[in-house]
Amino acid sequence: MVLDLTMSMAILALLGALATIAGCLEDLESDVGSQSNPNSQVQLAPQMGFLHRIFNKAISGEPISNGMSDVTGGTVTSVLLSAKFYPLTAIVIGAFVAAILYGIYATTSYAGRVASQTRFKQPLYMDIMRYTTPSIIGHNFIVNFCLVAIAYIQYAVLGYPFSIPFLALIWGISVGAIGSSVGDVHYGGEREFQNREFGCGLNTALSGRIVRKAESGLRNSIDNVWFCAKFGGPATGIGLGLTVFFSSWRTTIWGYTWEAMGVGVIILVIMIILNRLTEISVKNAYGPYKEDKEEKEAGSVAH
Amino acid sequence: MVLLDPTTLIDIGLIGLSGALICLAVHFIPVGGAPAAMAQATGIGTGTVELAAGSGLVGLITSSYMLHADPSASMALVMASGALGASVMLASTMLAGGFIYAYGVAVPFASAQVKKDPITGQRQDNYVSKGTQGQGIPTICFVSGVVGSGLGGAGGGLIYSVLMHYYSPLISATSAAAVAGVFTMGVFYVNSVIPSYGVGGTIEGVHDPKFRRVVPKDVFTSVVVSMLCGVVAILIAGGMTP
Amino acid sequence: MSEIKERSPDQLMVFGIIGGLLGIYLTYLLPLAGERIGGKIEIVLNTIAPVAGALGAICAVIWGADAVRRVAKYGLGTGVPSIGQIALGMGIIAAMFGLAIIKTQPLAGPVVAVITASIIGFIIGWFAQNVIKMKIPVMIRCMTEIAAAGAIIIIGYSAAVAGNYDFVNNLIPRVFDNGVILFIFWVGAVAMLHPFNACLGPDEKQKRMLYLAGSTGASTMAIVGLAAIITIGASGAITMILGIVLWIIFYKKFWDEVYNDAASVVGTGLIPKTEA
Repeated sequence: MVLDLTMSMAILALLGALATIAGCLEDLESDVGSQSNPNSQVQLAPQMGFLHRIFNKAISGEPISNGMSDVTGGTVTSVLLSAKFYPLTAIVIGAFVAAILYGIYATTSYAGRVASQTRFKQPLYMDIMRYTTPSIIGHNFIVNFCLVAIAYIQYAVLGYPFSIPFLALIWGISVGAIGSSVGDVHYGGEREFQNREFGCGLNTALSGRIVRKAESGLRNSIDNVWFCAKFGGPATGIGLGLTVFFSSWRTTIWGYTWEAMGVGVIILVIMIILNRLTEISVKNAYGPYKEDKEEKEAGSVAH
Repeated sequence: MVLLDPTTLIDIGLIGLSGALICLAVHFIPVGGAPAAMAQATGIGTGTVELAAGSGLVGLITSSYMLHADPSASMALVMASGALGASVMLASTMLAGGFIYAYGVAVPFASAQVKKDPITGQRQDNYVSKGTQGQGIPTICFVSGVVGSGLGGAGGGLIYSVLMHYYSPLISATSAAAVAGVFTMGVFYVNSVIPSYGVGGTIEGVHDPKFRRVVPKDVFTSVVVSMLCGVVAILIAGGMTP
Repeated sequence: MSEIKERSPDQLMVFGIIGGLLGIYLTYLLPLAGERIGGKIEIVLNTIAPVAGALGAICAVIWGADAVRRVAKYGLGTGVPSIGQIALGMGIIAAMFGLAIIKTQPLAGPVVAVITASIIGFIIGWFAQNVIKMKIPVMIRCMTEIAAAGAIIIIGYSAAVAGNYDFVNNLIPRVFDNGVILFIFWVGAVAMLHPFNACLGPDEKQKRMLYLAGSTGASTMAIVGLAAIITIGASGAITMILGIVLWIIFYKKFWDEVYNDAASVVGTGLIPKTEA
């Protein structure tokens, strides 16, 4: 379908907004269940004698599990679309079926992992199971809805050559990859070790010694999402939003030409510079951990 | 036999090349695995496979859309489109990840493998906190990641355009895109898992001593396996001819 | 761990291959038999034929999950999921090849696919062992097994959606064009890698893992059935309902094992005191 520039930009903006919401919620969903890499600490904790009340959602890595729920959502949606459902209804039902499937996998992974830790006496808390799983399903539903909607728009409005499940799968893998690279660091690097000094760097010897007490009572996974929603989630959203926006913005404006590619390179250079600026600012703010003579001299020359 | 035709041989070679590109991409992307998610290792805090695949498949979306919008586009343009789609994805990820390391966990970016950043010349070793293998994404890792994901995206675009060239005359455009896309994805996964086993799950990027050690054998493996896949792909086209 | 009786790899391999291929071939042979008999039986046989494909795929899921378990026990350096991904990556390439290359001999298709998958798996396993030097003794065998299981999973579920495994006439329009193949590719991989990943730990038991593999395979079957309702009608509904029933059975069995194996299952409570 050929659209004029205003309409294309409007659609692009919608895609960017949906991606931002999806990215944010994906990260929060992984924090609710404690998935992906920070989960290694939750898994290790009982072995170190730190029994806990945190959900252990080891479905698989985030990209794979989100790819799974989004491709399921996309498949059910395209099935319903071919049965002449309205697109919005189809997307909602598809996202819901996928979220339920995802929830089932979440329960088996929590039960399975805890049952495999018998020798450390880690109990299986059924109340954790009962009130964390619906929260996982809820978060995952929103992610599926947004990503399947992106896939639908790309397929039906923009005319991408791939089918809805294919596009949904790729965006699901991407959201998982971004979520586990960005937001999980906030959960794994800060929230799980919140009792350590801010910015102290986490010695590997601390592995498994996670925080188990909450602001009041014992910490559970819902407390973690409350914390990560302040920074980890939104940052993930920005990551996916930028990806979706910049991957089509260039070609929307400049068409399929080398100019568009040049603009892409400029975007990359700007991102490299931004990262460098962040690096300089943190290095100045927190300073080196170790000082030696040579370094001091080098430092005095540099300043 | 169709297989021995020079054009076919070149195409099989191209599929082998794209396998090599995807394999290289895994080595270039700085991945710290689970320790990086705890800010205990330099690089992105997730697995090698999914990051390479996640960025490369975004590249596949952009390159396939380009080929769809302009079927006469040159192969270089399709590959560039895939490369930029993938690079933008990984750069956004690393930038947002960097913000978390900087302001959420509060660790200065530092590489544990080199004493000085080859690009900025800044000291690294004294910023590495005690008991860790570096943390965050320093400039060299960032640049290495951008280049690497670009290679992966270009590789994906290359396989896809080679396969489309075979399948689109035989079946309808939608079916050809579906078959070529699925096949590309299969090749992508095979080629991103193999080098991940080679690097053992973590690598800091092009400056990591591990890079020189494992690249030759991983690339060799990937080229052989991808060319095998290329032969299979072309035989599939033979099976579609009525 | 030796006191716990386990199913041997060979037993599961035979189960996977025979069960898988039988299911796949039934999708093709039952309608043929129906044609001979004719009448109402023909309709019945035609309707239940595709269901057999999905059942075959579940056998392969169980087999593949066990192969994943054997190889992933050694620690791959990249987590369990990567091996499931490579399995289905190889499986889908081999399945497409095996089914497409056979034009006049439809019976040979699945066998060729499984053999191709085994060859690709063997080559990758050989390279992983001897060129990349992963030093995992079971690498070559397990890589071959999971690639073959991956191919059976793909063909089985695809046949359940498309009616049979004829590549050009059935699979491309009914599975590839609408993207259901991506669902089979991805969720099939998760069904195979999830059981071991979810049961990972020092007290992991094969029995529990196998029940979970049955449960993931059956839940995949249920959604495959949903997709099949659109492509082939009534058979899809049977696949879906049977998938749900099987899922309930396996899921219940899995939970029984969890109740047996877990240190304690409690409604709620404080953290028990330990030495730390």
